[in-house]
Amino acid sequence: MDSTIKLTVSHAPFWHNGSGISQKSYNILLACLLAVIPGIYRYGYPALGAVTLSIGSAVLWEFLMNLATRRPVSIGDGNAAVIGMLLAMMLPAVVPWWVVVIGSFIAVVIGKQIYGGIGGNPFNPVAVAMAILMLSWKNFLDFNTALVGYGFAFNPVDPLVLAKSFGPAAVKDFKLGDLLMGRQVGGIGSSFGLGLIIGGIYLMIRGFIRWEIVLSFLVGIFASALCFYLYNPNVYASPGFHLLTGYSLIGAFLLATEDSSSPVHFLPMIIYGCLGGMLTVLIRNIGSHVDGVVFAVLIINILNPLLDKIRPKALGKVAHHA
Amino acid sequence: MRRRTFFGFVKSKLRYTTVDETLPEPVAVAPSERVTLFFDQPYIPGEKLSLHPGDPVKKGERLSLTKDAGGYALAPKSGRIENISGFLGIGGRRFTTVTLAIDDEAHQTLDEGFKSVYQSPSLKNAREFLAGLPGKPNLEVFFNPQRPVKSIVVLGVDSDLVGVTNQYFVNNAIVAIKTGIDTLRQISGIHEVILVVPHYLFKVAGAAGATIKTVDSAYPSAHPELIMRYILSEQSTPDVEPPSDDGVAVFTAEAVVAIGSAYKTGFLPLEKIVCFVSKDETRRLISVPIGTPVKDIAEAFHEPIGEGDRVIFGGPMTGVSVYSDNHPVLADTNTIMIQDRRRIPEVRDNPCTNCGACVRVCPVNVPVNMLIRFLQAGRYEEAVSQCDLNCCIECGFCSYVCEARIPIFQYIHLAKLTLAGMNPVEKNNG
Ligand code: SF4
Ligand code: SF4
Repeated sequence: MDSTIKLTVSHAPFWHNGSGISQKSYNILLACLLAVIPGIYRYGYPALGAVTLSIGSAVLWEFLMNLATRRPVSIGDGNAAVIGMLLAMMLPAVVPWWVVVIGSFIAVVIGKQIYGGIGGNPFNPVAVAMAILMLSWKNFLDFNTALVGYGFAFNPVDPLVLAKSFGPAAVKDFKLGDLLMGRQVGGIGSSFGLGLIIGGIYLMIRGFIRWEIVLSFLVGIFASALCFYLYNPNVYASPGFHLLTGYSLIGAFLLATEDSSSPVHFLPMIIYGCLGGMLTVLIRNIGSHVDGVVFAVLIINILNPLLDKIRPKALGKVAHHA
Repeated sequence: MRRRTFFGFVKSKLRYTTVDETLPEPVAVAPSERVTLFFDQPYIPGEKLSLHPGDPVKKGERLSLTKDAGGYALAPKSGRIENISGFLGIGGRRFTTVTLAIDDEAHQTLDEGFKSVYQSPSLKNAREFLAGLPGKPNLEVFFNPQRPVKSIVVLGVDSDLVGVTNQYFVNNAIVAIKTGIDTLRQISGIHEVILVVPHYLFKVAGAAGATIKTVDSAYPSAHPELIMRYILSEQSTPDVEPPSDDGVAVFTAEAVVAIGSAYKTGFLPLEKIVCFVSKDETRRLISVPIGTPVKDIAEAFHEPIGEGDRVIFGGPMTGVSVYSDNHPVLADTNTIMIQDRRRIPEVRDNPCTNCGACVRVCPVNVPVNMLIRFLQAGRYEEAVSQCDLNCCIECGFCSYVCEARIPIFQYIHLAKLTLAGMNPVEKNNG
C-alpha cells in the first residue's frame, strides 16, 4: 500500500481550539493597560519610564536566561512581558531605575527561570520580587515618601497607612467612589480600581484568569474585613475600603490567579482564594505590614500543591485498559 | 483549527455534528481499479496462506488468510488478488493487507455462500458471514460461555465529531434499524435492546421498537465508554456493585441495518456510509464500497491531496492520520478528512503552564495538569498510581484545549502502550 505522495502523519487530535500562551499574555497585557494608562496620566513620564523599563528588562532577563540555560527562546510567549508589566504596576512612579531592574531580575530569574521556566514556578514571580524589594528597599517603595514631589488634588498619604496608624476616622475623607477612580496614592497600575475591575472582568469572561480564584479572593477580603469592622468600627476600616486600597484588586485579579502557582480544581481554587483574602486583611489589621496582599499571595502559593490534592475522584477507577 | 469560544469561563463546548447539517442523501463513489482489505493478523513473509496472488475472488466472498483463522473479510467486488503484504498501524499493531484488482462493473460475479443460508437466520451463520459488514458487527460476543449476553446496545450516535453515519441511519432509515433489531432479537434470543441516540433524534428513534436512551450534544458524551457507564450505572444498584459491561453486546446502528438487510434480501451490503470532509471543510455523505482507496474518493470530488497534507480516518479528535493516499475505507471508517498542510495546528513540546483548561474539559476527572508532568518525565507508573492514567477514555479533549499545545493525547497513548507491553497479563487490575 505505497503512497504516491508524502503525507503528514501525526497523532490525534487534529483540531485545536486555537488557544496559546502568547494569546493569553497579550490579552492580559491589554487588560493591564486599562489600569496603567490612567496611572501614567496621573504620574507622568516617570511612570511611563518605569513601565517600559520594567517590561524591557524582564524580557531581557528572560532572553539572557534562555541563552544561559540553552533553551529555546521564550520571550515570544509574552509571559516575561506580563511579569514586567505587573511588577511596574505595583511600584511607585518615581522608583529608582535600578530598583526596577533588580525587581525584574528577581521576578524573572529567581521567581521563574530557576524553576525551569513557565509553569514550573511554585510562587508568583512578581510577588516574590515585590516581597524582596519591600523588605530590602522599604523606603523606595513607600508611596508616601516616593511620591512626595507631586501636588495631588487629594490627600497624598497612602490611605492604608493612615488607617493603620490613626484608625478609620483618619480616612473618612476617602470616599469609595474616589478610591475606585484612583484618587489615592499607590502603584502605577494598582490604584485605579475601575480599570483593574473592567480589565479583570474581561479576562475572567475570556477564561484567561480563573474567576473562581478572583471572586473568592475578593469575598475573602470582604468577609474578614467585615468581621473586623463589625467587631470594632472605630479601629478597623470598612470592607469596601479594604477592597479598593493597596494591592487588593491587582492581587485578586492578577497575582493570585497566576497559573503555575495556583490550583486548578474547583474547591481548591475557592479555598485558596478565600484564604488569600483573609490573610490579606489579617496582615493589614493585626500584622506589622501596611499591606498584606503580597505576603498573603506567597503564603497561599505555598499551600497550593497541598490544596490541589483535593480533587474529584476520577470516574471509572476500575478501568480495563491496563 | 477551530476557534476558541469567546466566553472562556463557560466550559468549552464542542458540539457534535448533527445529521441535518450535511447532505441528506449519500453520493455513491466507486473504486477505480483496486480495493484493499485489512486483516487483523501480522504478515509473516513466507508463511503459508490460503490466499495467493492471482486467485479469482467473487463479490461477497468470505476471505480468510489461513484455514483456521477466526477473522475474515468480505470481498466488496469481484476480481483477482494482486498483492498480499504487511501494514504497520498505530502503536505498532501489525496487519496484513490484501489488494484486489477488481473486475469492471459489467463483469462482477457474485458469491452464493450467504444466499444458501439467509433464509434460516442464526447466530452461527451470522458469525460466519456478517462480521465483515459495514459498521463491523462483533458477533463473537455471543459465543463466550463465560460472559453470556443479557442485553444489546445499539449506538445511534457517532463517537467523534464530524461523523454522522449512525445518526444518518436513525434519521433516514429507522425502519431498517427496526428490521435489524428484530433480526438480532430473533437470532440471539435476547429481548432487551437499548438504542442510544442524540436528543434531537429522540422522536424518530421511537419507531425502532427498543428502549431509547439519549445523550447530550456536547463532546464527548457520545463516547461509547461514557455511554456504557451511563447506561450501566442506571441499571446496577449504585454502591452495591460497581457497574461492569459484562453481558452487553454493542453494535453500531449501521451494523444493525446491514445485518437486517442481509437477512431480508440475501445480499451482503458492502457499501459503507462515510462523511468525507474536504480541505475547505465541505462535508459530503458518501456511500462507498469497503476497501476503496481514499485517493479514489478524493478524485471523485476533484479534491487534490498534496505533499504534506494530512489524511485523517475517523474524526478530528480521535482519528488516525494515515501515511498513504492508497489507504482504504475500513468496515468501521465513519469519517475521512483531508486537511491542508497550511491548516495543521502546530504542536510543541512546551512545559505545561498549569492553566487548567484540560482539567475543566476531562469527562472523567483525570488531573491532566499533573498527569502530563509525569508523562513528560517518562514516569508512567506514577502516572497510573497518582494521576489515574487508566481512567482516561482517550477522547483527546485535553489536547484540543491545551494552551501550551502539548500533544497530551499522544503522551497518554504512548504511556498506555508502553505499560501494556510491560505487563500484558495485568488486565482488569487498573
Ligand atoms: S483524553 Fe484527556 S480529556 Fe479525554 S479522558 Fe483522557 S485525560 Fe481526560
Ligand atoms: S491545558 Fe496544557 S498547559 Fe493547560 S494545564 Fe493542561 S496540560 Fe497544562
